[in-house]
Amino acid sequence: MMKNEITRRNPLKLMGYDAEDILNPGDFGAITARAGVGKTAFLVQLALDKLLRNLNVLHISLGEPVEKVCLWYEEVFRNLAFDCNIKYLDPFWDAILPNRFIMTFKAESFSAERLQERLTDLTEQDIFFPRMMLIDGLLFDENTKAVLVDLKKIAKELGIGVWFSVRTHRHESPRTDSLPPVMSQVADLFDVVLQLQPEGKDIFVRALKGAPREPAGELILDPATLLVRNPVEQAVNCA
Amino acid sequence: MKNDIRQVRNIGISAHIDSGKTTLTERILFYTDRIHAIHDVKGKDGIGATMDSMELEKERGITIASAATFCEWKGHKINIIDTPGHVDFTIEVERSLRVLDGAVLVLCSVGGVQSQSITVDQQMKRYKVPCIAFINKCDRSGANPFRVVDQLKEKLGHNSVAMQIPIGLEADFKGVADLVSMKALYFDGENGEKVRVEEIPADLLAEAEEKREILVDAASMFSDELTELILEEKEIPNELLLDAVRQGVLGRKLTPVFIGSAYKNKGVQPLLDAVNRLLPCPADVENEALDTEHDEASVILDSDSEKPTVALAFKLEDGQYGQLTYIRVYQGNLKKGDTLVNVRSGKKIKIGRVVRMHASQMEDIESIPAGYIGALFGIDCASGDTFTAPGLSLTMTSMFVPAPVISLAIMPKDNKSQINMSKALNRFSKEDPTFKTFVDEETGDTIISGMGELHLDVYVERMRREYKAEVDVGQPRVAYRETITRMAEFNYTHKKQTGGSGQYGRIAGYMEPLADEEFVFENKVTGGAIPTQYIPACEKGFRACLEKGPSMEFPVTGIKILINDGASHSVDSSEMAFQAAARGAFLEAYNKAAPAILEPIMKVVVETPSEFQGAVMGLLNQRRGLIVGTQDEGPMCVIEAQVPLAEMFGYSTVLRSSTQGKAQFTMEFATYRQVPQSIAEELRKKAAEVKKNAA
Repeated sequence: MMKNEITRRNPLKLMGYDAEDILNPGDFGAITARAGVGKTAFLVQLALDKLLRNLNVLHISLGEPVEKVCLWYEEVFRNLAFDCNIKYLDPFWDAILPNRFIMTFKAESFSAERLQERLTDLTEQDIFFPRMMLIDGLLFDENTKAVLVDLKKIAKELGIGVWFSVRTHRHESPRTDSLPPVMSQVADLFDVVLQLQPEGKDIFVRALKGAPREPAGELILDPATLLVRNPVEQAVNCA
Repeated sequence: MKNDIRQVRNIGISAHIDSGKTTLTERILFYTDRIHAIHDVKGKDGIGATMDSMELEKERGITIASAATFCEWKGHKINIIDTPGHVDFTIEVERSLRVLDGAVLVLCSVGGVQSQSITVDQQMKRYKVPCIAFINKCDRSGANPFRVVDQLKEKLGHNSVAMQIPIGLEADFKGVADLVSMKALYFDGENGEKVRVEEIPADLLAEAEEKREILVDAASMFSDELTELILEEKEIPNELLLDAVRQGVLGRKLTPVFIGSAYKNKGVQPLLDAVNRLLPCPADVENEALDTEHDEASVILDSDSEKPTVALAFKLEDGQYGQLTYIRVYQGNLKKGDTLVNVRSGKKIKIGRVVRMHASQMEDIESIPAGYIGALFGIDCASGDTFTAPGLSLTMTSMFVPAPVISLAIMPKDNKSQINMSKALNRFSKEDPTFKTFVDEETGDTIISGMGELHLDVYVERMRREYKAEVDVGQPRVAYRETITRMAEFNYTHKKQTGGSGQYGRIAGYMEPLADEEFVFENKVTGGAIPTQYIPACEKGFRACLEKGPSMEFPVTGIKILINDGASHSVDSSEMAFQAAARGAFLEAYNKAAPAILEPIMKVVVETPSEFQGAVMGLLNQRRGLIVGTQDEGPMCVIEAQVPLAEMFGYSTVLRSSTQGKAQFTMEFATYRQVPQSIAEELRKKAAEVKKNAA
């Protein structure tokens, strides 16, 4: 029951996408926002959905230690369970842990080649085969395109989609296609781009590229729990 | 005695087993007039070095117990605390690193940064201990101190910078050129006690200037004043340069490197100068205590001798006059005649004799002010106990002591060993709260339990060597537990009428799994179905069942029992009858509640050079390990995993051989988790065999 309840809250389904997995093998998705708005929490919600459906997630974090990434999962999972009024979390938590693998790199030493080496260590020994990859903290600058092109090759070989967090800056105005300027050089590599946009006291989730055919209305990211919610549903629940 | 806290240094000397730590300590004690003759490390003149302690430490390449010794250098009071270098002794390590304010990392100029240097460095990093480095054995063939400076950067990630360059090397090693004063230092006299200062030899001047520039550049990161002088191309005062280096050291952002050869009596005095000048005094370090009355909230202590006393007993030793307790005072002033409270036991103690230790000799003192280390006599306490002035509820170490996860049966070989073994066990359990001992009522065996294989191994060896207790050791046993995984109801009637007074009691209710707690008993009986006076007997009956689970005889945990109905008889009901009814009810429901076996899961953190990452992950995977993640840290990488303790026996040997001895690991208890079905079956078979054999 918990699985159903949590997967029902998949942020992508809430946005109106037909499926939970909107990225095809080799596709890239991006969550863009300014620092501290909730990119990691959003990625973790996407990951938890997969994990609860028994699919392996490789979470790559650049610059954060493994322990900190674990804390993100624990926090978001606890909030989700609290939201769904579920008390006994341990069995679910124990069940999803084997499906998650965290890799952290120093931001300056990360490269597709290095990642490939690590992945080979995992797959050759039958330790872990990812079905989804998240890359959190990659710096988008003039050198990123080459890394992304290599990463795309890896994603295609593994037959998986990759979600990235993309940090934007307050002082930069968006391009005409509303994508953030930091993605200028690499926009063509991305199939879906979602934006977390703070407006007043709310953070809105909007599709900048690859929007659902029938959007389900605006979603917000609750700043207290960092969970994605449908404001209409929330208002009904509160009433 | 005038006490200026700025002139106190509590330091550790951390090193690889063969890098010359004992020789260096010996020379330090000689130059500081604490000893009057130099003895080499045991074996050469038959006397042995002063700090040389347990034989076992050397044999296994680990330091187990920590001793403190005191010396004075140019008006500074230096306490040298010996630090255990092995990661398994978590409590021992934590205690000794807690009392340090700074450290000297000793490296061999030939061997460089070796695997154990990596371990001790990681410990210092974990406890944020600022350090300076000393590259020893520059007289040895193959010595290359600059290679070691680079290794400090590459392998340990230190921002290392040379403070000296050698004058000659290997057999030609004559002295050092100091890059701050730009003077050459030679060490004359029979034991190198006379430091001769001269100009740097002309052929070394260019190299010295080049290295000084690197030093000034590195130091300028920590001083704006210094940066300005560099930009203005003005002369840099030595004191300003040293102040900047000190700032870098205190923030663990710079590691100044000194060189020498302790064995040849060269370079030790400048190292002592550096301890005084660059390492922190107790007031530079922020010390934290935990407030036991406020959920162990952190409280920052003030190294002010006027404030109420807070002190930590960090080491116990058996001396000829009884128990000697090494203590560090963090706040206040611990005086002869004071009354303090042992926070763990709540007992008041009166301070009798206060001494200052120098390895095996001691001198009586009146008090130990904040920031100082001393020792007390006749205090009954355990290692890790905190003493405070009455009214304070602070503790220096968390009161939480993890439950042991592994046990061994030990059997004394003869009567004499039996007596010595009891003495040893009594001492060890006082020293180490994670070490427990008890007698198994069924087998009569003495069981010792602790936090890991090596943990128990070392105590068994210490029993043999220090207490002459010869013991046979059984197979290690993992502390499995039982639990239930779903709710089940019971309604059991205990009825017995076989002559004499009868027994009658009926109990109904249910049991269900419980997260985070061992056992909860709830009484919801209404209308006096079970008379109130029998309710405690019901609880007692259920509790008795928890000691040995019905399925595998492991303790049962994580269970809630609720009783909501029952029946009694005016004549035949008794406490005993309801206890028996509770046992029956427990057995009735237990098998319906899907019992499961739980095993201890350890958090294992392996630090390995990146090239062995694949091999290490493979090893963990083979041992039913769940790899949580990998952390890339340049040339090294850290792998975090959760592995069942039952699979960790012999892991250190396997890890060493698969990584050329370059990987290190730490292991601590994480949680209990259900064992897989196949393993549960194996355990059941084994238990059945044991029962059969016993019968």
